[in-house]
Amino acid sequence: MKRMYVSAVAAAAVLALSACGSDSDGDAAPTATDDGVTGSESGNVPSVIATTTIWADVTREVACDGLAEVDTIIPAGGDPHSFEPSLRDREALGDAALVVANGLGLEESLEDTIDAVEAEGVTIVRVGESIDPLPADASGDDDDQKGDDDHEDTGDDGDGGHDDHGSEDPHIWFDPTRVAATLPVIADGLAAAGVDRSALDACVTDYSERLERLDAELQDTVATLPIERRLLITNHDSLSYFADRYDFEVVGSVIPSPSSLAATNPGDLEELATLIADTGVPAIFAETQHSSDDTDALAARVGDVEVVTLQTGTLGEPDSGTADYVDWMTVTTQTIVDALS
Amino acid sequence: MEFLTDPWTWWIAPFADNAFMRDALVAALLTVLTTSVVGTWVVLRGMSFLGDALAHGVLPGIAIAFIIGVDTSIGALLAAGAMVAGIAAIRRHSPLPEDTSIGVLFVGFLALAVVIMSTQQASYVGDLNRFLFGSITGVDDADLARQAIAAAIAVVGVIVLYRALLVMTFDVTLAQMLGLRPGLTQAALLVLVAISIVASFQSVGNLLVFAFLVAPPAAASLVARRVPMIMVVSVAFGTTAAVIGILISYHHDSATSATMALCSVVLFFIVLTLVAVRRSVSGRGRFTASTTRPEPTHTA
Repeated sequence: MKRMYVSAVAAAAVLALSACGSDSDGDAAPTATDDGVTGSESGNVPSVIATTTIWADVTREVACDGLAEVDTIIPAGGDPHSFEPSLRDREALGDAALVVANGLGLEESLEDTIDAVEAEGVTIVRVGESIDPLPADASGDDDDQKGDDDHEDTGDDGDGGHDDHGSEDPHIWFDPTRVAATLPVIADGLAAAGVDRSALDACVTDYSERLERLDAELQDTVATLPIERRLLITNHDSLSYFADRYDFEVVGSVIPSPSSLAATNPGDLEELATLIADTGVPAIFAETQHSSDDTDALAARVGDVEVVTLQTGTLGEPDSGTADYVDWMTVTTQTIVDALS
Repeated sequence: MEFLTDPWTWWIAPFADNAFMRDALVAALLTVLTTSVVGTWVVLRGMSFLGDALAHGVLPGIAIAFIIGVDTSIGALLAAGAMVAGIAAIRRHSPLPEDTSIGVLFVGFLALAVVIMSTQQASYVGDLNRFLFGSITGVDDADLARQAIAAAIAVVGVIVLYRALLVMTFDVTLAQMLGLRPGLTQAALLVLVAISIVASFQSVGNLLVFAFLVAPPAAASLVARRVPMIMVVSVAFGTTAAVIGILISYHHDSATSATMALCSVVLFFIVLTLVAVRRSVSGRGRFTASTTRPEPTHTA
């Protein structure tokens, strides 16, 4: 009698629980991944997943004219550092012919899953590992801030004297020449996934030229800004490659880590406030995908400084004007230059 | 209503078609088995707060192990041990009630973990996040093996400790008279709690493992009386919650570990409601505090 009762309760519970779940049947938002995977299965081109919108766009250019169906896991506007994959994302990754990831620790919460997919035999291209990365603390901001007090190691390249913890700065897409350097690696991955090599080579040549032009355009944009005004204060250490390429100096960060998951403290903020006052930097660059509370508070305290929001790790939505890498890089650079002019 | 109209597609196909779904299911079921047998005692002995505290108290151990590069499970177990020793020390040297000593160390250990990680400015803290919420999409064979070992230890441990735990749960004096060493038994149980928490990092993460440590055994204790039966029903409830949680997460793209944890809590309330309705129908009225525990006469 009691057992029957127990199993009746269990059965009722199962029904009630699954009823909760099915309520949302209709309004489950279709993701890019869903569309992409079904789309590619009906066509004859390999299905490729890139972790971020930026690498998805670059991969699409390498596979120009639809040589591969490319989708992203981390949606436009998402933070690649903290993105947690769902089971559907896991399924899409497992079904992909090729996965293009940034690597260098960018996809912090996705790494386990990418490793598991790789163990299953899916080819993973980690583009960051194919270029010459900057160390994670390349901006040297921490030392520069302290340097105001003790006058040691005020070097702006910050390469010497730092013990990096084996980490490298993952934000490589802020330098179009480094992005251009990843194209052959992505093409190799696509060729291994069955895309015609000569077609890929033509795409790579075209897009390399486009990126070269972009770089020249950005040099022109930046040239309007005198070198002494090229000082960057950022929310988290994400602009080192941009600084490296276009002769800026990252003088400080609200969160002095390439990881957006780290936190700040009052001492560092105080040093940063002093630094902003001393250098007269007119803008702090925050990021759309993170809270800028600390940055806003800092700006309010310093007074004469503007908080400018950048999309640092993601392209915009379609039709936003920043939906492809070239446009996004152009807009971002222009925003930075305008804010500092 | 796809789960009724097309049961194959909703219930079975996700597991039949995907190896990673089967891995996720195995990981979740091993978590359920481990947490149910241990959690039953956590619930019966009124140690829920301590269980919650331990789930977070392992974090500084994980953080330190992560930084110096040793196995995080070892760090977690050492931190759990330190926390239990600290709670015992506070109790011995003060008149404070146990929940106060647990609370102080709970928040202390949690804060310590965050402080330790915040000093690691140039490295990544994403891995700590992974411990908090788990990454059931990334389970590999080594994770499953570790969970299987933990489940085996938990089951064997609970069988070995069964008599001592049973007697001391309902009569500490009798336990002492029988020479059952309640202190040692309690310590052994805490080790099992720590093992079940540590082993569940990968599947549900240690912020949410507590849901499985408490909700299914609590629901089971409402409908079953004998301790082994509570464990069996708890495994059944936990399995139900985990399977439905994984499937909802799969079909509706929700966070997997949180969906499973939520299902186990929803299941608890469904069981509670049904039990309450049944009791009021049969005219036995509301529970009093003393009737939530099984009576010794039924269990011994």
